[in-house]
Amino acid sequence: MTHRGYRRLGDAAVPGVILIAFVAGWEAVVALGWVRPIQVPPPSRIVASALELALDGFPAGTLLGEHVGITFLRILTGYALALALAMPLGLLIGSNRTLDAATAPIVTFCRSVATLSLLPLAVVWFGVGEASKVFLIGYGCFWVMLSNTIAAIKLVDPVLISAARTMDTPPAHIFFKVALPAALPRMVAGARVALGVGFMVIVGAEMIGTTRGLGALIMEARTFYRSDITVVGMFVIGAIGLALSWGLTCAEAWLLPWERRQQERDP
Amino acid sequence: MTKPVRLDNPVIEIVDVSKRYQTEGATAVNVLDHINLSIRENEFVVLLGRSGCGKTTLLNVIAGLTPVSEGEVRVNGERVAGPGKGKGMVFQQNALFPWLTAKRNIAFAAINRGLTRKLADNLASDLLNLVDLAGAGDKYPFELSGGMQQRVAIARALALDPKILLMDEPFGALDELTRNEMQDELLRVWSARRKTLVFVTHSIWEGLMLADRVIVMSPRPGQILLERRIELPRPRSRTDLTLLATYDEIWAALDHKTLTAMPARKAAS
Repeated sequence: MTHRGYRRLGDAAVPGVILIAFVAGWEAVVALGWVRPIQVPPPSRIVASALELALDGFPAGTLLGEHVGITFLRILTGYALALALAMPLGLLIGSNRTLDAATAPIVTFCRSVATLSLLPLAVVWFGVGEASKVFLIGYGCFWVMLSNTIAAIKLVDPVLISAARTMDTPPAHIFFKVALPAALPRMVAGARVALGVGFMVIVGAEMIGTTRGLGALIMEARTFYRSDITVVGMFVIGAIGLALSWGLTCAEAWLLPWERRQQERDP
Repeated sequence: MTKPVRLDNPVIEIVDVSKRYQTEGATAVNVLDHINLSIRENEFVVLLGRSGCGKTTLLNVIAGLTPVSEGEVRVNGERVAGPGKGKGMVFQQNALFPWLTAKRNIAFAAINRGLTRKLADNLASDLLNLVDLAGAGDKYPFELSGGMQQRVAIARALALDPKILLMDEPFGALDELTRNEMQDELLRVWSARRKTLVFVTHSIWEGLMLADRVIVMSPRPGQILLERRIELPRPRSRTDLTLLATYDEIWAALDHKTLTAMPARKAAS
C-alpha cells in the first residue's frame, strides 16, 4: 500500500474509532447503572429491539417494514400533493407584483402556524384516517414550498430577462425557457427544506387513529414503556431522511448540471 | 486596419430624449436631460462618463428596455417601442443563461429569429469560431473565464444578426490584460461583421482605442459634455500623440465637471 493509501485509511479510521468509543461508552454507562435503561436504552438493547421489530413486529405484530412503508407512503403523498399545488401557485404569485403584495401576509401567517397545532382540526375535517395525516404533512410542506417558489421567481436576475427581451424571445418563452430554469435551483432548495418539514411533522401526524407508521410506533412504544423501540423508530426516520436527501442530491445533479459544479467550486 | 465609415443616413436618431426617475418624497432625478444624438450606419460610438452619468440608461433607451420620459429614439426612421428587432445587446456580465451550454446560449438567439435547430446549431458553431472559442461549445458558462463568457455573449448577440449592437461595459469586469485582448477581439469581429455599434464604458482609454466617435457625458443632469471624432486607423497605439492629446481633453472636461459639481472636495484639498 502506498503512503497515501495509509493516510487515507487513517482518515477513515478516526471517525470509526470515535464511533466505536461512543457506542462502547454508551453501553458501559447503562451497564454500570449510572442511568436507567428506560432513560437511555443501551445499544445492545436497541439492536435486539430492531431485530424484534423486523421479525416479530410491534405493536400487535406490525413489522418494521410495514411501519416504514406506511410512513413513506404518507410522507410522499402529502409531499407530492404539496409540491404539485405550491409550485404553480408560487410561480403565479411570484411573477405578479400585485398578487405577491396581496398574498405575502397570508403566506407568512400560514407558514408560521405550527403544523401540529392543526391536528385537532384536521381530525374534525378529515377524520382519523389517512386523509388527516396526509393533510398535515401536505400543509407543512405546502407553505414552505410556496414561499420558496415565490422567492425563487422573484429573485431571478433581471438581466437574464432583459437579455431574453433583446433577443426577441416570445413572452411565453421568457417565462418557461428563461425565468423558470433561472428559478429552478432555488425551487429545488425549497423542495429539500419542504421534505425535511414532512419528516418533522410525521410523528405528530401519526399520533392519532393509527398503530401503523413510524410515528405511531414511537407513540405506542411510550404507552408500553419501550424506550428502546422509540430509539429504533428515531433511527429509522433519520435513516430514511438521510437516504431521501441523498436521492435528492442525485436528482439535483441530474436536473441542474450547471448548479452542482458551481456549488462544488464555491463551498 | 479600417477607416471610419461615413454615411449620411443616421441609423439611430436620439431626439430630445429626457429620462426622469421619480424618487419617493424627493424631486425627480434627471438621468437624461434633452439628449440629441445621431449615429450613422456602421459607426462605432462610445458613450463615456462616470458612474451615474446616464450612459447605461441612454443605451437601455436605445435598446428599448427603458421607456423615455420625453422625446423619442428612432432606428432606421422607426420609433423604438421595445427591445429586440435587430438591436442586439451585450451586458456587463452574467447575462448568459447559466443552464445552457455556450453553444445552446448562442443557438437560443438564433432559434428566436426562426432558424431551425440544425441551422441554429451551425450558426452557433460558426460564431464560436469567429470569437475564437471553437472548442468551448459544450461548456456551461460557469466553466468559462470572464473573458470567454463575454466572447460567448458577443457571439450570442451576433446570432440575432442585428443591425445594431449595443454593449454595456462589456469588459468592465475583466482584468486589464484580458480587457485589452477583448478590445482587439471586438475590433476583429466588428471588421468581419460590420454593425452599428454603441459601446458604454467609463474607461477613457477603452473609448480611444475603439471608437470612431467618443461621446462624453456628465452626470445629473445627464448631458453630452463633449464629442470627439477619432480618425486614426486601427489597431491604434496607446502612445499615439493625437490620442494622448484627446485623452487630456476628455479628462479635463470630466475633471472640470467634477470640481464644479463637488465644491466641498475642492475646498478641502
